[in-house]
Amino acid sequence: MKLGRNTYTTPLRGASLRSTSAIVTAIVAGGLFIAGLVTWRYSGVAAAGRSWCGVVYISAYFAGAVGVIWLCWFWLKLARTITFMTEALKSEKPLFVGSSTNSLINELSEVINGRIESYSNLLERLQKQVKDLQIQVQLSRRQKGNTEAIIYSLHDAVIVIDEFDRLLMANEAAGKLFNFDFINSQFKPIDSLIVPDKQEFVDFLRQSRQSEVEATRHEIEFLQDERLKVLDCIISCVYDDRQQVCGVAAVLHDITREKEIQRMKSDFVSHVSHELKTPLASITACSEMLMDGEAEDEETKIQFYSVIQNQAKRLNRLIEDILNISRIESGLIRIEKSPTSLTIIIEEQLQMIKSYAEEKEIEIITQTPIIHDVVYADKDMISQVIVNLLSNAVKYTPRGGSVRIDTLVDETSGVAQVTVSDTGVGIPKDEIEHVFDKFYRVSANSNQAKGTGLGLNLVKQIIEKVHKGRVFVISEPNVGSTFGFELPLAASHAVEAV
Amino acid sequence: MSDKKVLVVDDEIHIVHVVAIKLRNNGYEVVSADNGADAFELACEAKPDVIVTDFQMPIMSGLELVEKLRQCESTKNIPVIMLTARNFAISQQQQKDLMIMQCLSKPFSPRELLGHIEDVLHSKEVSKQNL
Repeated sequence: MKLGRNTYTTPLRGASLRSTSAIVTAIVAGGLFIAGLVTWRYSGVAAAGRSWCGVVYISAYFAGAVGVIWLCWFWLKLARTITFMTEALKSEKPLFVGSSTNSLINELSEVINGRIESYSNLLERLQKQVKDLQIQVQLSRRQKGNTEAIIYSLHDAVIVIDEFDRLLMANEAAGKLFNFDFINSQFKPIDSLIVPDKQEFVDFLRQSRQSEVEATRHEIEFLQDERLKVLDCIISCVYDDRQQVCGVAAVLHDITREKEIQRMKSDFVSHVSHELKTPLASITACSEMLMDGEAEDEETKIQFYSVIQNQAKRLNRLIEDILNISRIESGLIRIEKSPTSLTIIIEEQLQMIKSYAEEKEIEIITQTPIIHDVVYADKDMISQVIVNLLSNAVKYTPRGGSVRIDTLVDETSGVAQVTVSDTGVGIPKDEIEHVFDKFYRVSANSNQAKGTGLGLNLVKQIIEKVHKGRVFVISEPNVGSTFGFELPLAASHAVEAV
Repeated sequence: MSDKKVLVVDDEIHIVHVVAIKLRNNGYEVVSADNGADAFELACEAKPDVIVTDFQMPIMSGLELVEKLRQCESTKNIPVIMLTARNFAISQQQQKDLMIMQCLSKPFSPRELLGHIEDVLHSKEVSKQNL
């Protein structure tokens, strides 16, 4: 509905004029009628004597007739108007425009009310939209909070930079890795925050942004706290609405440990294959010599047979070591514990190591046997522990050295302790904590003797995991090492079902 | 019968023993050592015609031994045959640079080793005659 000046003023003015002219006409007609009646009433008396009375009489009569016609016309119009209004009211249609001030006010009120209603509806819709937007903003804030919480709690370093290489976001791990504080570093150029020896990372960020490739992966190495760190770095481009690169996000995952394990596994495979192939080489060579008749006398033949037998045993021991570690770790090993004398086990194992020690001209020193050294243990497993410690001691002791084995019993604490000391090459301080790790070989000593890095790990697994004892080591480079273990005495140990 | 001298180096005493018997049975004189350092001294003293050495040994490895041999005037031309239980322990380039005539993987055949020693010595003879 349009609110126009002409639409409302013109009909109102027309209506006013028409009613005024009707009133004037009615008054004039009425006046003339009354004048005619008066003239007619008094004209009979006067007309007898005067001729002008006839003219007056005719005029009055004519005027009265005209007045009556006009009066009839007026009443007719009035009746039509009343009929029209009645019909309009019945049909609830607005009365003809400009009929009165009230109808104008009513009409305007209607227009205004209509407007108010439409504006109210509009306002309602806008308020709803504002509410929706507020909810969306709240949700976005919550999502942002959640995302930030996730990013900040990550162990992986996360860094986001804009198209001008300025830092937009970094988590705590990134701050630690690159040694900066995010709060004070936001919006600073990234190359000013990262020290020159780690600039390779900044170069990768720039390259990724410039290349506009969705995601790239790099392996980065750098020194941190004097240790080599290896990081798997995934850099992803961030795009704006026009699909233009507006920054990059980098996630750096520390793979130093994985790399170390990978290297240790690779070394292990290499060592194991070497250890397996060495006895196999002796067996193959001796059997071929026997087949070719190269052993001329009986003594040489016996030597070859003996080599084959011993090397086959060595091969079996190695395979057993690997399997035992695997079984202990998986909990599938069969354990048969019983009261066992450590002295007896030591005596048996000394016999086994004797020839090896003699080969290297190494003196084995033993103490007087102790009587009360019975522990509740799996005899075969403890035998393996002792032979491993003794063979290690002989292996890493130079020719002419000595190896000493001692047993101590502390009845007060109910513990038996066995120590194997050597005058060998020793272990550097920074490597001592790793000597019981699986596959670990002391780097400085790896040239001294061959090994798989399994023997000491097996000792630790048997003593600590199977028998709830304790292993320990004391060592000084170029002086010697003492490896030992403690087990609860059988007397103080409740017999347990296995 | 041959009058050639072979130096056998291995920390596995059984291997040295077997190889020595095989070579002696075929007329070779054999000297032996159980590590690289002792082997180098022996090579300088005994001037062997060929050296058979293990790759991984205590004190000084087979590779370190060959490097040292190549730096010494009196031993730089002694042909070397390497025994190794590690595959790909020596690259082709290293083998060429250090004049390692042959690399045999463990377990090896003493018969095959003898054949390689004879080939190496024969090549050496031919080279000498050509000079």
